[in-house]
Formats: sequence, C-alpha cells, structure tokens
Amino acid sequence: MHELSIASSLVDALLDIAKKQSSTKVVEVELKVGELKVLSLDQLRFSYELLAKGTLLEGSRLKIEETPGSSRCPNCGYTQEFHASDSAFHFAIPKMNCPKCQTPLVVEGGNECLITKVRLIIPSPVKSDLN
Amino acid sequence: MPVSSDIVTSSEGEVFDVELEVDILRENRRLADENKKRLQSHGIHAIDIMGSVGSGKTSLIKAMVAKLKKNRRIAVIEGDVTTTIDSDLIASEGVPTVQINTGKECHLDANLIRKALDKTPLDKLDLIFIENVGNLICPAEFPLGSDKRLVVISVTEGPYMVVKHPMMFLDAQTVAINKVDLANVMDVDPNKLSADVSRLNPKATTIHTSCRNGLGVNEVIRSLQLV
Repeated sequence: MHELSIASSLVDALLDIAKKQSSTKVVEVELKVGELKVLSLDQLRFSYELLAKGTLLEGSRLKIEETPGSSRCPNCGYTQEFHASDSAFHFAIPKMNCPKCQTPLVVEGGNECLITKVRLIIPSPVKSDLN
Repeated sequence: MPVSSDIVTSSEGEVFDVELEVDILRENRRLADENKKRLQSHGIHAIDIMGSVGSGKTSLIKAMVAKLKKNRRIAVIEGDVTTTIDSDLIASEGVPTVQINTGKECHLDANLIRKALDKTPLDKLDLIFIENVGNLICPAEFPLGSDKRLVVISVTEGPYMVVKHPMMFLDAQTVAINKVDLANVMDVDPNKLSADVSRLNPKATTIHTSCRNGLGVNEVIRSLQLV
C-alpha cells in the first residue's frame, strides 16, 4: 500500500543524483530492498514507471535485489535469517529471543531501502574544434 | 545532412555507472529527526499510536488524556484519511487537537507531522499523542520523530492479528490488546496474542485493556513512562 510513496521518494532521489552528475538520461537503477519492508516489487515497478514518465528516468530499467531479514544476539553473537514472503504480507513469526542465551535479538538486515547503483548518460563537453 | 563524428560522440554522451548507497527514505528520516529535535527543544514527549482500523486507538488516547490532563499539558494529532470525527472526540476532553487528513495516503509521514507541529502550541505542551491512520502495514515504514510507539490491537480482529502483521510490533515499546471484555464472545485468547507479541519483540510490554471499563489504562500510562 505504501509503494507509491516509496516510488515517489525513489524518483526524487534519482532526479537529485542525475542533476548532481549533470546527466541527461538514466538508463538503469539498482536497488537493494529488505524483505522486512514488505514492499510488493510489482507495485513498486508499476508506480516507478508511472512517475518516471516525462522525466529523464523514463524508460530506465529497475533492478531490485531483495535481502532477507536477519537478527543478531548482542550477548553471544548468534545470528539468524528470516524470510518474508514476497506476495503475501504474512510470514511465520520469527522468534526474537536468542535460542542460546534468551537475550532479545537485534534486527540487523532486511530493513534496507537503498539505491546502490545508477547507470546514467553524461554528455561529454561539446567540442568546439570540429576539424 | 552529414554529421561529423565529433558531434555524434558528444550528443550520445558517455554512460557512467555511479555506485552509491542512498537511502530512498532518507528525506522522511531527515524530517523525522528534525521533528524529534524540535519536540525535544520544547521538552515535549511524543508518543505515536498505531493499529488497525477500529482497534480502539482513539478510545485509548481519550482514556489516557482523561487521566493525565490534570498533570500534563497535552495535545493530540489525529491522522485519518478523511473526517474530523476522531479529533472532535478527543477535543471533548478539552485538549488542543490537530486533524491531519491524508486524503489518499494510508499513513502519516514526517512532513505531515512537521506541518501539524506548526499548528500546535508547542510552548504550552509537554506531551503529544500522534494517532496514525488505521493500518498495520504502512505506518511502520515512516518514522515521525516520536519517542515511543504504542501499538493497539483488539481481540475483535481475531486470533492471528500479530502473526499476520509482525512488522508493526518490532519497534513498539508497548502493545495494548484492547477489548478484552469481548474476548469470550470472540473466542479469542488475549494471552495467546500477548505470547505472539513477546516472541516477536521480547522487550515490548504487553497490556490487556478495555476502554469500556478502563481496564489496563493506568498500566499503559506507566509503561510509556508518562507518570
């Protein structure tokens, strides 16, 4: 339900990056999205395409890497991964107590929502000497 | 028209890969940090309240305001898709309220809270309750700048509430399981819901409440360290 808001923030961030690089067109964008963000990637792509229209992002490819949830015990260092299902918002409830020492685990991974790479076109300076 | 190779090269430009790590939600986070600093500079505690539609968020806030208003200077920010029903209800307690109507958005964000704070008499307050739009999925993604989070669920939402919506509970300090007076009618065991919350978030305090008869309201207030 919040994909449009996220796509809107994504477009703003990308236009900002493109402007700073003096780019005229963005070709490809790589994202890292944590499973705990419970984003529907189809909806995210759809919203992105809608918002990209008419901007220098139009037609750019969106490559999305999903990262699993992970938690770590601050006491003994035990770590575990847990997964959210992509299409449903439901997943088997993860235990957030360390199975070894019962300390509450700290969620470390799965909350990312990052732009990791942007492929863009930067016009080379116009050459004045055509000979 | 013949085109020189030099011009072709420059109009095509060059393709660059820029590697970076930009948080897509950084703008909301930045505004949330600003809100937090602004609230702190006025010595104001802010609690955000989340939970599904009809779980009793407004009723619980109203019950807490009634108990706290003698000793605390309180305002309430109400988020809803439309109407001022909730803020009117809270206003009957005689505290300032600001209604945010999100229109089509299913959650509050830090920018909306910033605007609401502009309309709130911050110099005359020490406690703000922020009621988010009823929704268990989206509000968790958008920090607002509050100090603590209270999640309100109710037995009328059935026995699988927590299992189905785990995200909402991960960052909560306090979880109220409301309408426990209806637990028998609903055939839902509130202790099972508490156990689910504790598995997900062992640090959260879980409290059984009923806003009809006032059960548990004092415990929620204590758990949020409001007294």
